Amino acid sequence: MHGIVKNYGAVRANRGIDLIVGESRVVGLLGENGSGKSTLMKVLFGMVRPDSGRIVFNGDILMDHTPRMAIAAGIGMIHQHFTLVDAMTVPENVMLGWDHAGLVLNPAGIAARIEEASRTYGLAVNPADVVGKLSFGQRQRVEIVKAILRGGKLLILDEPTSTLSPPEVAGLLGVIRRLKEQGRSVVFISHKLSEVMEICDEVVVLRDGAVSGHVQIADATRESLARMMVERDLLAPVRRTNRTPGAPLLTVEGLSRRDDSGGQQLSGISFTIRAGEVLAVAGVDGNGQRELLDSLAGVTPAGAGRVRLNGIDISRMNVRQRLEAGLAYIPVDRARTSLVPRFTIADNLAMRDINRPPLAFGPFINARAVREMAWTRMADFDIRASNPDVPTSSLSGGNQQKIVVAREIGRQPKVLIAFQPTWGLDPGAARFVLDQILLLRDAGAAILYVSAELEEVLTLGDRIAVMSRGRLSSPAPRETVDVTQIGMLMAGAA
Amino acid sequence: MLLPDSAVQSRQAAARAAWNVHVRALIGNSGGIQSALRAVVAVLLAFLATSIPILLSGKSPLVAYWSLIQGAFGSLDNIAFALNKSTPYILIAVGIALCFRAGIINIGGEGQVAVGGLAAAWVALNIIGPPLLVMLLALTGGVAAGAAWAGLAAAIRLARGVHEVLSTLLLNFIGLLVVSTALNGAMGEPGAGFPQSPLFDERVCLPKLFAGSDLHAGLVVALVVAALAQILLWRTRFGFQLRLLGGSRSAAGYAGVSFAAGVMTVMLLSGGLAGLAGAIEVLGVHYRLIDGFSQGFGFTAVAVALLAAADPLAVIPAALFFGFLQAGALAMQREVGVPSSLVFVIQGLSIVFALCAMGLDRRRRPI
Repeated sequence: MHGIVKNYGAVRANRGIDLIVGESRVVGLLGENGSGKSTLMKVLFGMVRPDSGRIVFNGDILMDHTPRMAIAAGIGMIHQHFTLVDAMTVPENVMLGWDHAGLVLNPAGIAARIEEASRTYGLAVNPADVVGKLSFGQRQRVEIVKAILRGGKLLILDEPTSTLSPPEVAGLLGVIRRLKEQGRSVVFISHKLSEVMEICDEVVVLRDGAVSGHVQIADATRESLARMMVERDLLAPVRRTNRTPGAPLLTVEGLSRRDDSGGQQLSGISFTIRAGEVLAVAGVDGNGQRELLDSLAGVTPAGAGRVRLNGIDISRMNVRQRLEAGLAYIPVDRARTSLVPRFTIADNLAMRDINRPPLAFGPFINARAVREMAWTRMADFDIRASNPDVPTSSLSGGNQQKIVVAREIGRQPKVLIAFQPTWGLDPGAARFVLDQILLLRDAGAAILYVSAELEEVLTLGDRIAVMSRGRLSSPAPRETVDVTQIGMLMAGAA
Repeated sequence: MLLPDSAVQSRQAAARAAWNVHVRALIGNSGGIQSALRAVVAVLLAFLATSIPILLSGKSPLVAYWSLIQGAFGSLDNIAFALNKSTPYILIAVGIALCFRAGIINIGGEGQVAVGGLAAAWVALNIIGPPLLVMLLALTGGVAAGAAWAGLAAAIRLARGVHEVLSTLLLNFIGLLVVSTALNGAMGEPGAGFPQSPLFDERVCLPKLFAGSDLHAGLVVALVVAALAQILLWRTRFGFQLRLLGGSRSAAGYAGVSFAAGVMTVMLLSGGLAGLAGAIEVLGVHYRLIDGFSQGFGFTAVAVALLAAADPLAVIPAALFFGFLQAGALAMQREVGVPSSLVFVIQGLSIVFALCAMGLDRRRRPI
């Protein structure tokens, strides 16, 4: 791949990336969320058309290709979320959408080929199984079999270990070794340094849509990779006053949570945030951030642990009670959670406060108070719309997020927890959101800011911590933060 | 996930998909002139399209439709008949519209009407007391029975994760058969030769609105209910919570609205209204419980709620349209020889055109 460029509007996802994968090579693709890994692989697999650049595979130029053509050329992609039908058996899944399966299906023949491939590569896939009954690791192997039987010479594995247990990870790495021995090549996308160090022959590191490093694994150390992944100059925020934090406002002690199947999502999280202080938490998505914040806000029940807000124990309170206690929450999911797109601006602004005066009047809604509040918030937070009765879906992403920010910050909370509130915003809108949060901090609120964007965390946090596998590292003051150390923590290597 | 059964899950997924495509488009925003216009155009198109089979059978659509209109509006008696026919549609469809707003699909109107009628009939036949009190008790009994029937479906949904489309649908059959069983047993009229109860004491039945007319007081109740539902939906905290649940369950959770409480309440409300419709039908029209009296009410009311874009006030004209259409159908058959079942074609096409118009509208909307 040469000079791949892809822009999504103002977002420059890939800006001239070169990637060369040799035969029988395992190439690691390393980078933070949003560094351009996924976009690059989607370009290769024909799911996304690049703005410019050239792809040569096996001597042929791939241009304007579809995933189907990519598969025909010998590229297989195993997505993070599997593309299998749960109710079908393994051979049925393998045949699905495959031209070579023929008009008259031959499940027995396919099953034999699956067994053969399974033996060759040590996959241990049983063709008689129904996919819905398999574990995640086994499903992944079905995906690999699918790609191999379709003639995949180059396999793209998109964060293949994120949903696997440690023994399954070891098994997968063994499979990758076999694939390599059989002359196939693998692109291994990950942000886990230990796995990359173990399995890859060479590593390409992406940062902000460009290659920030390309090394043979023999020449690489965990530290050097972590530095390539996250190193940057700290940006000074627009407005930032140094102030001494006040009394503790939010105290969390030993918060733990298990998911429905008993997996540990949060283990023993403890921290304190004082008035006028921002605790910023970095971490790769899916390491328990969402569970932590939802538990704190009362949206999902927490397991063990205690949460105190301004000295009051809110651990057993529901969403509304926590809200009344002064806890505001900006969730990450704008399309479904923090906003209802087809509601009006006024309804979305009132969403979490409709049960209390002044918006409520007994069991009724005080429509006039709602409208007045909406006009005020629209003016205060620069929400650009002709009136509060406009459907929210007609606004830009930035304007939509201003509604959320206006609602949560506008009621002057004691504590704000925010989860990637700048997600999907253009730089101007993102800056607006960050400035509003800093203003709230200056007004004496305690703020928990969680983001996968390291830059934001480093810019905003008075103290900084990292979340990894449901654990929170001990927060370090911003002045003493070591970026390489944070990168190591994020990659689960420290 | 409570149910490991993948078949049920895929049926649920299909129901959810259908919900996403159609109903979400319907309840985009509160009614407004646009959706009224859409409904009118859809109805006109339905009449236009139905002219084709009428023409093919060698009849004139204009003559047929004229006799339809005559049958519906031709005399005060005809109008009273049509209004009585519309009354249960208003009540049931208002409840279904509230469910739609909350993202719940209640297609169990029929069963809820049936048990509501059964309860009202039992009270009217067995309770002895001042007639007005018995009548009110009978109506209340209808409400309670219908609410319980819908509440059962909601409880199954919440406890076992069975989609309410399945449970309400299947409870329809059970409700109908419960009525049949009662009429063939304890509540049947001895020697009637048809499964029906004895006539009620006329004094416990609904009063007529005008002397000499069949128009009963149920219409007033239905109109009041529709108005109250409009206020409930747009002017109360509870209505806001319903709309929030329908808008996004995830957002509702974030705003502290309980899904379980919302589903249970709106189903009880909707079932109660259907039960009331059953009681009114029994106490206002038949003066007795008749086997199969509820047939078709539930599904026609779903169509009414769809045509009304799940707007409680808009349910009134939509229900009147269906009521008058059905009232005129017999006259059309008698006068012109066009089968009365063609009006069901008109009903069906109206809904199809209305849904298409709304779908089209949604596609054109900038995202």
